[in-house]
Amino acid sequence: MAEKPQPVRVLYCGVCGLPAEYCEFGPDFEKCKPWLIQNTPDLYPDLLKEAGAKDADKVSDQLQSASISGGSSKPKEEEVKRLPGGKIKKKEKQEVVIEKMTRNKRKCITTVKGLELFGVKLSDASKKLGKKFATGASVTKGPTEKEQIDVQGDIFYDIVEFITDTWPDVPESAIFFIEDGKKVPAV
Amino acid sequence: MFKKFSSEEVSAQNQVKASVQRKIRQSIAEEYPGLEPVLDDLLPKKSPLIVAKCPNHLNLVLVNNVPLFFNIRDGPYMPTLRLLHQYPDVMKKLQVDRGAIRFVLSGANIMCPGLTSPGGALDDKVEAETPVAIMAEGKQHALAIGFTKMSAKDIRTVNKGIGVDNMHYLNDGLWKMERLD
Ligand SMILES: [Zn+2]
Repeated sequence: MAEKPQPVRVLYCGVCGLPAEYCEFGPDFEKCKPWLIQNTPDLYPDLLKEAGAKDADKVSDQLQSASISGGSSKPKEEEVKRLPGGKIKKKEKQEVVIEKMTRNKRKCITTVKGLELFGVKLSDASKKLGKKFATGASVTKGPTEKEQIDVQGDIFYDIVEFITDTWPDVPESAIFFIEDGKKVPAV
Repeated sequence: MFKKFSSEEVSAQNQVKASVQRKIRQSIAEEYPGLEPVLDDLLPKKSPLIVAKCPNHLNLVLVNNVPLFFNIRDGPYMPTLRLLHQYPDVMKKLQVDRGAIRFVLSGANIMCPGLTSPGGALDDKVEAETPVAIMAEGKQHALAIGFTKMSAKDIRTVNKGIGVDNMHYLNDGLWKMERLD
């Protein structure tokens, strides 16, 4: 028997629901743009330029080093930056996004994105999660080539407490769930 | 086909008999051998298989209220795009150029020139009357499920008119119906 193919994860836009790469052809690209800049800045490089931001990697690098050196620094959630021309641009948010992917009724995978933005080593985090929930956990590449952690099983609601207990640098307020394609705060 | 489609169009939902369930499984496995290893996950033997009847001889195959396949009359089963996105390699692929994307996404059938232009791509193994995944230039994921009107070779040589019927595309009624409750 052939080997079981693993389901591919497609990044669906949180606004229009299409695969994010098709937002530009979707019903309202303008509305998708803020979501795209935040969730998949590499996909539409022009958007960042449009918004006047610098290289997306630099932004996240800065965030990362800030959180490592700053210790328990608060997430700079609402920090806005005034750009030449008076445009206001939000920084890439430092947040952890948890999403559950159902494979069928019983089996599902919970993905955790963004822990690295808080200076957490993903390989280490994946081991801890696997141990805590007695299940398989691995670091994988998401659709935008960003690394994320996949945990087998539905650990949707227990995971927040575990994250904040294990990595105190991650505030509860920076943890979000994706439910029915919409991003909602975990608390 | 699913341009204006909603749960109201579903005239009857029936749990099918075990024998019919076996037949559906078998024809899906024959059409998409790549799906066979995961068929037990997709169509668990213990979960009831529901077939929803819709206008124009359309049938939807559902498990746990999620549409997974559809067919017309006794035609071949085709996966929904959400399912295909998970298992992209189970279908043969044809690719349209970037210029064709917005037409496909408005429900238009796929014209030969969109497949034969430099941005398009044809798999010569594709015969006429075959379900295919419609991919697009510069995009990773399928944007439609098509049913070929002519073979890939004919599409190349004839190079005009409709090459592939657009059966189901991103943001059509079936796409929006993630569940049928
Ligand atoms: Zn979108």
